[in-house]
Amino acid sequence: MNKLNFEYGSFRDPAGKIFYSEDEVYRELSEIGIKRFSFLKKDNLIKGLIKEKFLIATEECDKKCNEKFKIEPKKLLLKHEKINFISYPYEWTFTQLKDAALFHLDLQIYLLSRNAKLIDASAYNIQFKNNKPIFIDVLSIDEYSEGEYWYAHKQFCENFLNPLVLSAKKGISFNNWFRGNLEGIYTHQIAPLLSIKDFISPTLFFHIYLLNKFEEKSKIDPKKTNNKISSLKKFTKKSYQNLLNQLRNYIQGLNNKKTISNWDKYSEKNTYNSKEEEIKLNVIKNFIDNSNPKFLGDLGCNEGKYSEYASKQKEINVVGVDFDLNVLDRAYIRSKKQNLNFFPIYADFSNPSSGLGWNEVERKSFLKRSKFDAVIALALIHHLVIAKNIPLDQVIKWLIALAPTGLIEFVPKKDPTSQIMLKLKGDIFPQYTEENFANTLSKLANIKKISLVTDTERKIYEYSTK
Amino acid sequence: MKSIQIFFFLYFMFNYSHAYAYIDPGTGGILLQALLGLVAAIGAYITLYWRKFKNFINKIFRVKKKD
Repeated sequence: MNKLNFEYGSFRDPAGKIFYSEDEVYRELSEIGIKRFSFLKKDNLIKGLIKEKFLIATEECDKKCNEKFKIEPKKLLLKHEKINFISYPYEWTFTQLKDAALFHLDLQIYLLSRNAKLIDASAYNIQFKNNKPIFIDVLSIDEYSEGEYWYAHKQFCENFLNPLVLSAKKGISFNNWFRGNLEGIYTHQIAPLLSIKDFISPTLFFHIYLLNKFEEKSKIDPKKTNNKISSLKKFTKKSYQNLLNQLRNYIQGLNNKKTISNWDKYSEKNTYNSKEEEIKLNVIKNFIDNSNPKFLGDLGCNEGKYSEYASKQKEINVVGVDFDLNVLDRAYIRSKKQNLNFFPIYADFSNPSSGLGWNEVERKSFLKRSKFDAVIALALIHHLVIAKNIPLDQVIKWLIALAPTGLIEFVPKKDPTSQIMLKLKGDIFPQYTEENFANTLSKLANIKKISLVTDTERKIYEYSTK
Repeated sequence: MKSIQIFFFLYFMFNYSHAYAYIDPGTGGILLQALLGLVAAIGAYITLYWRKFKNFINKIFRVKKKD
């Protein structure tokens, strides 16, 4: 039997734990988990959820499989479909988080109509498959009892509503804040940032202003609040459904507040012409034809032009990474509309997502999740070396570690983009030369091809470490 | 010694929010939902009686027209 790799992020729920074996995903259920799962099997609820594309494909393992993993007879083993790339809400754009929020509410509404509920409202339980949200935690679904309240309301506000409102009303992106606090944005943190004008909205008045007041009150006198709660009337299913629908309508109408970012006009104002772009696309096409990657990373993807092109060539899943949320959001919307196998995420390469949460392994680092077959890093490294002062050899080493093969574009100092960057900073980068770049790369990998892209001598290096 | 005891007594008396920090703060959300349920119920009652009132008025006018 192969070594089982347990998922550290699934420790919170005593009902079951995830492990990986031979690139497959399994979930071992405890007695509590088996009880919850038997409810899901009742009236074919699980089949309906999978059919409606709410839930990741899940099947019960047979006896042979249980024996393979030495599962105790009183436990149960499930096998899940594997998601190509696990992303976290702090790596999502506004529209991605909005889609996830709407999906969560739609799932709740669907479940309630079948006398089921979600026991939590964690955004981490939602992943994206072909740019569509999908629920991955089968054990978060349980039986609904008439009259019960939405206990995960607070978590929903922190994970979805508050981050979206922060972006929509104040133009502040939620990503770095969310990454700093994995539970999202607390209501007591966002409430003081909103103005009276914002609270004219009944949704914001109730779900942020008033909720904050109630939370404050319950902190001051929790005993009194608990007594009050135990004497409360039952919350009808209709009220529950109304609450979910009202939040859904509000979130549906939210739009990201317009802010101008560095790369907003890049596709219009970049310094190379259409002929040069055609050369770039040809280089990518040849590279894909020769290396046949199944999973490609487009580092510094901008609006995803090359990702889009690559994803259309063959059956390739592309994850595009950039640190400009405006262009990423546009990339996501376009990819979703065209049904591409391209998923853009947010990361600043000079400070990418690290291991976070309990024991620093609950949420994995970007590097640990990036098992790319190939990467393309076009017009990227000069930004890391010149703008962020990261030594050239370190940038190359980091890139090489991400995939066994790839394309790296070298942008020389005489290129207009580099000139703009150097003008204010001054040339404090003597090591940033093509000669140094080629020498370092050749020590770490085989340079397979060099293609000249522009008159300013931008070149794309194809490398392989195989 | 007594003054230390008094100090600790007063300290814990006036730092109640920290002392109960382990309590699930999600209780605020439950109170909010109860309030929203109440608001919706009041709204439903008002709508119901408004309709009844409208029907009553309409009836009177219809009756008058017949006269």
